[in-house]
Amino acid sequence: MFAKMFKDGLTRRRLLGSGVAMAGSAAAAAVLPRTAFAADKVVKIGFLAPLTGPVAAWGKPGLDGCLIWGDWINAAGGINIGGEAHAVEFVAYDNEYDPTKARTGATKLIREDGVKFIMMLGGDTWPGAQPVADRTGMLFSTLLPSDLSPDTTTLIAPCEVHPIYNVTGVEWLADNMPELKTAVMCAQDDALGLPSVATYLAAFEAAGIEMQDDPLLFDPATTDFAPVVTRLISGNPDIVCLDTCYADYVHPICEQLFQQGYGGQVISCTADFYQQIVAKTSEEFMEGFVFQFPDFDDPALNDENINFRMPNEFYAEYASRYGADQWGAVSWEYASIMDLWKAGAERAGSAEPDAVLAAMKEGGTGLHAFGEADWWGKDLFGIDNALVGNWPIVVIEGGKATIKEFRSIPEWYAKHGELLKKHMAAYGQMWDQRS
Amino acid sequence: MHSSVTSLAAILGLGAVLLALPHALSFSQQEILVFLTINVLVVASYRLLTLTGEWSLGHVVIMGVGAYASALLSKRLGVYVPVSMLLGAVTAAMVALALSFPLFRMKGFYFLIGSFAAGEIIRLLWKRFRDPFGGPKGIKKIDPMPDFDIGIYAFDFFEPVSYYYLALAVVGVSLWIMWRIERSPVGLTFHAVHWQDRLAEASGVNVRAYRTLAFVLASGFAGLSGALLAHYIGTINPNSFDVEQMVFVLTWTIVGGTATFYGPILGCVVLTILNEIVLREAGFEQMRPLIYGLILILSVLFMPKGLESLVRGALSWQNARKKKVGETQATE
Repeated sequence: MFAKMFKDGLTRRRLLGSGVAMAGSAAAAAVLPRTAFAADKVVKIGFLAPLTGPVAAWGKPGLDGCLIWGDWINAAGGINIGGEAHAVEFVAYDNEYDPTKARTGATKLIREDGVKFIMMLGGDTWPGAQPVADRTGMLFSTLLPSDLSPDTTTLIAPCEVHPIYNVTGVEWLADNMPELKTAVMCAQDDALGLPSVATYLAAFEAAGIEMQDDPLLFDPATTDFAPVVTRLISGNPDIVCLDTCYADYVHPICEQLFQQGYGGQVISCTADFYQQIVAKTSEEFMEGFVFQFPDFDDPALNDENINFRMPNEFYAEYASRYGADQWGAVSWEYASIMDLWKAGAERAGSAEPDAVLAAMKEGGTGLHAFGEADWWGKDLFGIDNALVGNWPIVVIEGGKATIKEFRSIPEWYAKHGELLKKHMAAYGQMWDQRS
Repeated sequence: MHSSVTSLAAILGLGAVLLALPHALSFSQQEILVFLTINVLVVASYRLLTLTGEWSLGHVVIMGVGAYASALLSKRLGVYVPVSMLLGAVTAAMVALALSFPLFRMKGFYFLIGSFAAGEIIRLLWKRFRDPFGGPKGIKKIDPMPDFDIGIYAFDFFEPVSYYYLALAVVGVSLWIMWRIERSPVGLTFHAVHWQDRLAEASGVNVRAYRTLAFVLASGFAGLSGALLAHYIGTINPNSFDVEQMVFVLTWTIVGGTATFYGPILGCVVLTILNEIVLREAGFEQMRPLIYGLILILSVLFMPKGLESLVRGALSWQNARKKKVGETQATE
């Protein structure tokens, strides 16, 4: 760290950042329970996500976050499994968001590396790994609960219930800006875009916001977003919704919205590397941009209901190691899944997949990063393997992401669940519609 | 006589090595070996198409046609998987035949662009029609190849070694057929259509018919490779057959070279081992695209005739050496 600091030039910001990160590491070592572990007691965790290619933004930052999590846990004495302390080691395999490579990676991680748990992004890659999961009984996690179905008994979605939490952003908009009456939406036509489209449609309908047009679905190979944006804003909508577009789409779409003079409200699931969008457009243009993924230096995350340990220190360490502008939606997510896995393994006294899964789901509730949550999903996914609770609404203010509020996903679903099912069914996204 | 015995011994030796190969590899390398074997059929079939001088950007999509057809036939209609694989290949060939009518009104660069457009149309149809193609998420839980036992070996097709043997048999037979086609009068006519199309036409050769034949045959084998892939991984989606995958096929073909039958196969094998095993094992997992790209640039700069030129160089050096030794012995 110091070599890098001096090589790149010592600045006040970098010095302060490093200081906070070091304080965080020290605090982690002090706060977390310390036990001694023998060097040969190691529990390996697989990380099977895209680390290169267009979807890498939802894999690589997560691995970076896990490495911090692992360093902190190991510095604090490791994971206590059955009375013995174990160091944690992450073994990564780049699946390039390709199901064939997901299968190869799952095979390697389980049969060669001996991992006890595998974290995935999911989506297109889960069906490639599923036969391996079925055959070996390995516990997998996904960020995309649309992978869940009644026969995915060893797959859990313990952190991100994409895209259901998007309803909280729309509900917050409707409550705080009732003057916004019309919306348009665009999304890439793929496995990530479509369930999110259905969710936003349900959320807008529940909020009484009228869709000016059908969602504009563009091909994932699209690179020129000028015509997409021109068509999108031709009716002068109050809200432009960017759905769950990849970072490679959100950035050029925002640039086009800015260049074509759009002055209304923008809402999106993610705004990864939003500092770069602010730099490409303007602070004024991005003011009020609503999305769902906070920076973890936000003071709101110090609330006693938050279960992610030392979020501000985690963010400082991340910014120090990789740069604040590399923070993305998934930087904390895989680490928060590890918190749940660690608690499950310690409760079970075993790292074996079936024992950890049973311990994690014991009592039907779990300590999600943003508060206590329920194991839920039978209605929508055919299995209660998604951990659902509160989710933050984040707004860019003065060029910085700021948490405005936490809202309950189950409460929204209790009121508007039928709407969500209606739109999911219309887009063929219910679990019993997936071929 | 001596030459044919040597060839037979070489083939038997190669066969023995290929049969023993998976047992010398790790589990993940066995998985890679299965995909590599399937990809060998893709590049070899692509070369069959290029024999007539036409380069297509839709070959991987045609492979996808075979994959989708075989998956749907087995899943929806309950067709026995080996039969559905063959029907998948036939479907790919029939689609290619239909596409040949508009596409072979074009040549060269225009054919290249036309094939890309045709491929994209097919991919968009897969996305648009969720029933039966599954839309952007594609088709999941595709029926696997049914397991069977032959007494000395029990085939469990979840295991990569078993599936490798199946793929090896299918690809081996396919390569032998393609080899025979290339050596037949039909294959020689393909070469004539490529290098002397006007002369061939003046000699009474129906150039368009031969181009169509090469396109249809190559597409049939590509479709078969797609079916092999689909029934192994159990899932396919439109992105599995996008232009990015096509770029890989082009790269293997160009780096390997197209002058010989083995050129593209060599490119496929060497680059796959480099990308999937060497660079990953060497700890360059996240830098692979950068290093891979660099190696491609260097190989094109310093080996413009492809990897096959190294083999040909080595063979001619060996022949020259033998000749020289023979001359020396004759002089003595």
